Amino acid sequence: MVDTLLSPELLRRLEQLELLARRRAKSSVKGERSSRARGHSVEFADYRSYVAGDDLRYLDWNLYGRLERLFLKLYEEERELPVRIFLDASESMTFGEPVKFDFARQVAGAIGYIALCGFDCVSTVVFPERESDAALRTALRTVRGRKSALAFLRNLAALTAGGPANLNESLRRGALEARHAGLAVVISDFLDPAGYEQGLGALVGRGFQVDVIQVLSPEELEPTAFGDLRLVDSETGAQQEVTFGRHRLAAYRQTVEAYVRKLRDFCRARGASFFLASSATPIDELVLKRLRQAEVVG
Amino acid sequence: MSFLAPTAFAFAAAIPIVILFYLLKRRRVVKLVPSTLLWQRFLAETQASAPFQKLRKNWLLVLQLLLLTLVILALARPFFAGKTAAGRLIVVILDASASMQSTDESPSRFERARREAFDLVNSLHETDQMVVLLASAHTEVRQSPTSNKAALRRALQSCQPTDTPTRLTEALKIAHPLVKDRRDAEIHLYSDGAAPDLTEFEFEGLNVVYHQVGRRALNVGIVSAEARAHPEDPRRRAVFASVFNASSNNVSGELELRFDGTFVETRHVELGPRETSPQVFTVSQEKDGVFTLRLDVADELLVDNEVQLASLMPKPVNVLLVTRSGGYLERALRVVPNLSLTVAEDIADGGANYDVVVIDDVLPSSWPAVNTLAVRSAPTNWVQVTGRVEAPLIVDWKNTHPLLRFVNFDEVQIAEALKVRTPTWAVPLVEAPDTPLVLAGELGRQRVVWIGFDTMQSTWPLRISFPIFVANAIDWLNPASARASQAMVRAGDPIRTPLSGSATNAVVQLPDGTKRTVPIDPGQREFAFADTARQGVYKVDTGDGESWFCVNLLDPAETDTTPKSELRFGRYARALATTLKPANLELWRRLAAAALAVMMFEWWFYHRRTA
Repeated sequence: MVDTLLSPELLRRLEQLELLARRRAKSSVKGERSSRARGHSVEFADYRSYVAGDDLRYLDWNLYGRLERLFLKLYEEERELPVRIFLDASESMTFGEPVKFDFARQVAGAIGYIALCGFDCVSTVVFPERESDAALRTALRTVRGRKSALAFLRNLAALTAGGPANLNESLRRGALEARHAGLAVVISDFLDPAGYEQGLGALVGRGFQVDVIQVLSPEELEPTAFGDLRLVDSETGAQQEVTFGRHRLAAYRQTVEAYVRKLRDFCRARGASFFLASSATPIDELVLKRLRQAEVVG
Repeated sequence: MSFLAPTAFAFAAAIPIVILFYLLKRRRVVKLVPSTLLWQRFLAETQASAPFQKLRKNWLLVLQLLLLTLVILALARPFFAGKTAAGRLIVVILDASASMQSTDESPSRFERARREAFDLVNSLHETDQMVVLLASAHTEVRQSPTSNKAALRRALQSCQPTDTPTRLTEALKIAHPLVKDRRDAEIHLYSDGAAPDLTEFEFEGLNVVYHQVGRRALNVGIVSAEARAHPEDPRRRAVFASVFNASSNNVSGELELRFDGTFVETRHVELGPRETSPQVFTVSQEKDGVFTLRLDVADELLVDNEVQLASLMPKPVNVLLVTRSGGYLERALRVVPNLSLTVAEDIADGGANYDVVVIDDVLPSSWPAVNTLAVRSAPTNWVQVTGRVEAPLIVDWKNTHPLLRFVNFDEVQIAEALKVRTPTWAVPLVEAPDTPLVLAGELGRQRVVWIGFDTMQSTWPLRISFPIFVANAIDWLNPASARASQAMVRAGDPIRTPLSGSATNAVVQLPDGTKRTVPIDPGQREFAFADTARQGVYKVDTGDGESWFCVNLLDPAETDTTPKSELRFGRYARALATTLKPANLELWRRLAAAALAVMMFEWWFYHRRTA
């Protein structure tokens, strides 16, 4: 199952990468990321005056020799980076050729694997809630350490999608639930009639560094069904009658571009990274090329 | 803009039906999609960018309504009453001769020609004028110049084909002064070209448009027929007929002879392509009557398949010969069969007791009132003698005239002849360069044969042609044979019969049985009836007893129904059959074309939308 989600070759290449955080880690758990907290790493951070009770091992005796005053050497505390992956598993993600959800799982797996290899904490939020694979979702909720990577990928591969999603609500709740803000990766098609602004706004407001990956199927980017159609929304059941022909493809493309542009502008205005990916895009091209170029990973 | 058929706007009731179809739900293919969000935005954006949102949604409806409107307008036949500087003059000559009854065109050549003439009427401008001439044996002006299309259509509708030969020359001569000196005038001739006499007409650059009708010649007909006394037995009759096959196939059929409706004989006839077959029937006849020849063969022209021949019993002819010497003339008269000859030196009572008077170089005390053969006699009211001609040389003689049948003037010398001018009542049968030598004609009801030289002063009586001529002259002058020849009339020619003077009305029974009463003016000596367009037996009752006349086509040119694609006028000019069709000023054709274009666009648009 792991092999089908990500190839061993790709996993080997992913091991050499790490998630690039533009902010210091705020987690309370020790890790390998620099943080504002002072601790016991090898990285010197600052001095402060000695006060009674301080550990004498951290006194800078050379400085005492020159100034005859006691200063304590402070080191940076290295903490872990909480990586929170929001994975859209709604009904709309089950469409496309290749299926959008499969592609989204691969992206989530790749980012999670990079994070786990970098000793970061990976928390995957799969929405909407489904009773059928509640155990899997719980297992994906908090994953630490490289040795958990295989289990993480296995659980991810076992996930199923379905049901209507509320993107705003899911993102907002995910933002609130997080004890520490970190890196948030939102993988969805963003085709929620209720919008995405509140959810993404909540993540940014909570202090997350947000990376948005919009996954659309080739059929959505360039439809191949023509004629007199009655379209039924897979999530809401809403019906839309449309007469569509090849001559209207250009207009449709413009509509899609406008929608994507709006989302991209929204993200940029809030310091979030945005990526549009067709589900037919090779996963290594997205992760090893586009995400590296955008310095999401490095 | 006006409409010729405004009732067609009733078809506008179809417009709500089209709209109704659009109100009905269209069958759509149901397709499950991840989300309709993008589609909703797509529809919202495309509609927002269209100036007419409602209409844009139903472009097909708009197109179909446009199509329907165009079709309804086309059906209503709008036209513009345009004003042009000067209208054209169009002379339509409709050939109504017998050959136009051929059924190779559906239903006939004449109807086809009439249809095309209707098309021409439809294409007329408001300022154009048209004349309708109906050309058969005589040309009738069915409509004088007018722009009134209804009147022109009525005139065309009233035209009927006849059983007569064509005389297109007469029609063209009538049309000529109308179109002369008018550059915008056109003569439109609707004919099959079966007209033999056009070479006599000098074309003079007339603008003739020849509309040829007829596709093929599949016809066999009787082109000549005659009933004569049998040469060897005067009590028997010989019926001659010539049957002509105008088609390019071998044809066989039956030729049937009847006498007064009683069957006499039938004969099988086989004809090769364009072959003429002479047929002779020998029949014994006991009384005056009508022979009917009927050709039973499958062809496309019926009119020439039947011929009626009047045949009168021969009667002895009483001839008074007024002569001093008798001689060769008396001998020649005595060998004429069935002739009772009286020889005298003068005429008593104007020769009223005789059928024919022969005056042989004498000046009688009174001129005869009966048919006369005059030799070298010159009453001034017959001919005007202007002098004498020594040894006149015979240069021409009309051997087609019945008088000169089998008569030859080779090696005939004449010592002297009277020099006269040809009078209006006569035709010259034998001519010398300076004077006619033999004249024949009718003075009122009196037939006269005039010989301008003394036969005894010529070598003519020594020739075999002399007794033949005398026999021919007696036959021609015999009132009974004249009566018999008058009973045979060609279709289109008038029927003539003498009147006793007391009749006030004549009743003519036409071949179809209808009777027509014609008033007779007091003092009228001859009754003439010209409406002989139909062949058959015409019975005329003028109060003096019923007489009958056989009207026949008997025209090889009409029987030869081969359509001619070229007409020759005069010696040099010719008119080719036009392939042009009249342009129509009405707009319906353009509207129909636009409707077709809209329909094709609508079809393309529909498939482009849904492809």
